[in-house]
Amino acid sequence: MSAVGATLNVNGRPISLAEVPDDERLLDTLRWRLHLRGTKEGCRSGGCGACTVLIDGRPTLSCLTLTRELEGRGVTTIEGAPDLPAGRVVISAFETEGAVQCGYCTPGFVMALTGLLGRTPPDRRSPERLLRELQGNLCRCTGYAAIARAVERAHREAP
Amino acid sequence: MSGARRADAPLKLRGAAAYGTDLAAEGMLWGALVPSPIAHGRIRSIDLAPARALPGVVAIGADDLAGLRPKGAPPSETPIFPSEEVVYRAQPVAAVAAPTRALAREAARRVRIDLEPLEVWGSIDDLLPEWPEDGAPRTGPLNAHVHARHGDLEGAFGSADLVFAETYRTSGVHQVPLEPHACLAWVDGDRWTVETSTQTPFGCREDVASTLGIPESQLVVNGSWVGGAFGAKGSALLEPYALLLAKASGRPVKLQLSYPEEFQLGRSTLPSVIRIESAVRGRTVVGRRVRLVLDTGASLPGRDFTLGYSAGFLLGPYSIPAVEVEGYALRTHKPPFGPHRAPFVPQCTFAIESHTDHLARRLGLDPVEFRRASVWTEGSTTGLGQTVGPFGLDAALARASAIARAWREHLPPGHGIGIAGGFWSTGTGAGGEARLRLTPTELWIEQGEREIGSGSVIRGIAVGVEATLGLPPGTVRVAFLDTAHAPFDSGVFGSRTVGALGQAAEKAAEALRAELGRRCGRPEAESAKLTLRPGPDGLEVDLGDRRRPVRELLTAAELADGGLKVEGRHYGRSGTIDERRVLEGSFHPFNDFVGAAHVAEVAVDPEIGSVEVVRYAAIHDAGRVVDPVTARAGIEGGVAMGIGTALLEETQWGPDGRLENPSLLDYRLPTLAEVPRLEVEFIEGFPGAGPRGAKGLGEPPIVPVPAAIANAVFDAVGVPVFELPMTSERVARALKRL
Repeated sequence: MSAVGATLNVNGRPISLAEVPDDERLLDTLRWRLHLRGTKEGCRSGGCGACTVLIDGRPTLSCLTLTRELEGRGVTTIEGAPDLPAGRVVISAFETEGAVQCGYCTPGFVMALTGLLGRTPPDRRSPERLLRELQGNLCRCTGYAAIARAVERAHREAP
Repeated sequence: MSGARRADAPLKLRGAAAYGTDLAAEGMLWGALVPSPIAHGRIRSIDLAPARALPGVVAIGADDLAGLRPKGAPPSETPIFPSEEVVYRAQPVAAVAAPTRALAREAARRVRIDLEPLEVWGSIDDLLPEWPEDGAPRTGPLNAHVHARHGDLEGAFGSADLVFAETYRTSGVHQVPLEPHACLAWVDGDRWTVETSTQTPFGCREDVASTLGIPESQLVVNGSWVGGAFGAKGSALLEPYALLLAKASGRPVKLQLSYPEEFQLGRSTLPSVIRIESAVRGRTVVGRRVRLVLDTGASLPGRDFTLGYSAGFLLGPYSIPAVEVEGYALRTHKPPFGPHRAPFVPQCTFAIESHTDHLARRLGLDPVEFRRASVWTEGSTTGLGQTVGPFGLDAALARASAIARAWREHLPPGHGIGIAGGFWSTGTGAGGEARLRLTPTELWIEQGEREIGSGSVIRGIAVGVEATLGLPPGTVRVAFLDTAHAPFDSGVFGSRTVGALGQAAEKAAEALRAELGRRCGRPEAESAKLTLRPGPDGLEVDLGDRRRPVRELLTAAELADGGLKVEGRHYGRSGTIDERRVLEGSFHPFNDFVGAAHVAEVAVDPEIGSVEVVRYAAIHDAGRVVDPVTARAGIEGGVAMGIGTALLEETQWGPDGRLENPSLLDYRLPTLAEVPRLEVEFIEGFPGAGPRGAKGLGEPPIVPVPAAIANAVFDAVGVPVFELPMTSERVARALKRL
């Protein structure tokens, strides 16, 4: 195992990391090096979606992403979501529709939906398609009903 | 009353709520548990030296406990580390702590464990080969046995036109809170502190104090935000280990389960077999015998509350003149059994309500009318001799029937519709206390519970306070204090929070109102009309004829000390059962009777047996609905979880006691794809003992789900499925037997 540095952009700020082991996951870099613990640790194996962040705008599971492979890339976490137009719409839709219960899945859902809305122009997306693309994000509290309502609202309101 | 937005949502949407997994402290070590590699074995030796040889690693085992627990502490009833025998796979035999998580895992792997393998009791079927087709189970390793009986059973069965007997099986299901168990502990002299993701901070304090042999006064439990619980976080699990590691290392220690560990150690529900025999005369069930065999894993004998409680549900919700129920909690070499949302009642209801449907079909009767002929209503007597309180199940069934009729008019081929009733008892019997703190500008509820997701704490307990004082929804704030500063409460479980803690808060509000009336010089009788309202310069007391700012009514000492504090207590009374009907073990009375009827429409693929729930309606008697938004949200979540229990979720245990699917890739949870659009309706007019007549709603929504889906599957394909979950494989097999 070797450890070299890495430079990436996190929530709009350039970050230089020293001695990143080649097996360090982005999830751990964010939570334990950068103290950005809004990104949640769930199953650590790609099964729950709680750790979803955006990498250059694309929803990505941070538990399955190696930090060293992100040299020069841009990462957005839940802490940076309010800085994105789509992020603000999604956060507001989740609050309005009561889609937050225990909240552990919430950052993952917010980031996944923010990424999907940000990457797809309004005429090329539909609530059904958004919901299909969110099937990798699990929620144990809401039964997805309020989340589905929030997705529909965000779809209507997103730029 | 309308709902208010939840005060925790903005925090959670910013990623700013710290859950158990997020806890951290300067200089902390990461802990790890050392798992037993086999399910049953005699300990020859456990050598911690290879772990201790790693830099910065602390390791503790059974031999170290005497030096870590306080001098003179009585031996722990709960085994911390086994010294002679391991009784389930992954049982912690030692624990380690290290400066990094990776090193802690490595240290745990290095512990040398030498065990002599012993025979493994892997399943309840191995233990009871002749059960359940005839008679009582043969002798088996029993954790508990309960038995109750009432009426002339021999007469009922002797004179029956029809004796209808069926056997049902259910699999283990895991709560799978998305946040695994996690805590952070430190020890400072004789003061022990643990921050943890728990649904019972005071229960956790009691568990940990007795396990470690320390006085409760020297232990502080501070709950974090909780990323789902569903029963899994109702008693201490990791906390004693984290505290012992902190004591041994002199550093804060973080301990968190990985998902594979969570699946094994997280105190899930285990398999069961339920046998029901009904004696029928004419169109009436005149006698019923029910036997429940529950796998309780390596639970400690006599500690199980679930068996007697669940068995009581097998005697309802119908009036039958002669009944007998017998329950057996068997010991196997699986991890200890734990409570899962409405512990074991969805499974019991699956059996009873499937059986009821099959019986109606056999008798050529409408399944709902058949139910309504004997369903409990207020004043009925339960099989255990308890008088039923206000109970809206009959009305809910009538409504469900109307919905099902409407759906049936446009039912596509291959689809089926099923209805099931179910009931739950809100646990208002367990008591609690809350304190109100009034400042010139804010009213706080100071309390010790944590919001586990349902909204019962952040929203539910505030509703009665707001109503009592005339405040707009969302104006009362909830403070989350640790066990050293909060008044005692029993915990967030049993759908009790709104009913019990909410009532304590409401009583505090009444006391506060009276105190404010006194300070305004009003006689007691007039203070009931007094309200609080937000004014331009903080809160005001509205006396009807004039207003006074709260600021003027507080003493200098109160202003300096955070405000006027008033406490409320609620220690409810449970109903009583007729103990003469109990022959062995303990059964438990119900509190509020909470009914629900569900309607499911499914589509079944006859080739592969896959079941899709396409439409669903849930009709609930929740007493007075005090917060419709929160109530609806609870039902939506409970139905989805019930769909998991019905169709997808199953912990698969090997004969060697190994859990074969401890990951989300192999243990399937409902996703957005599995959940249908849902209609929710409330039946009002059957008030509970909670504030404003509310009944608890945390658990009831899951209760009828597997039964309603099973009845819909039968309606679709014409054959019954007797086992949960109703996977494609099981449905396809049932179809082949046609």
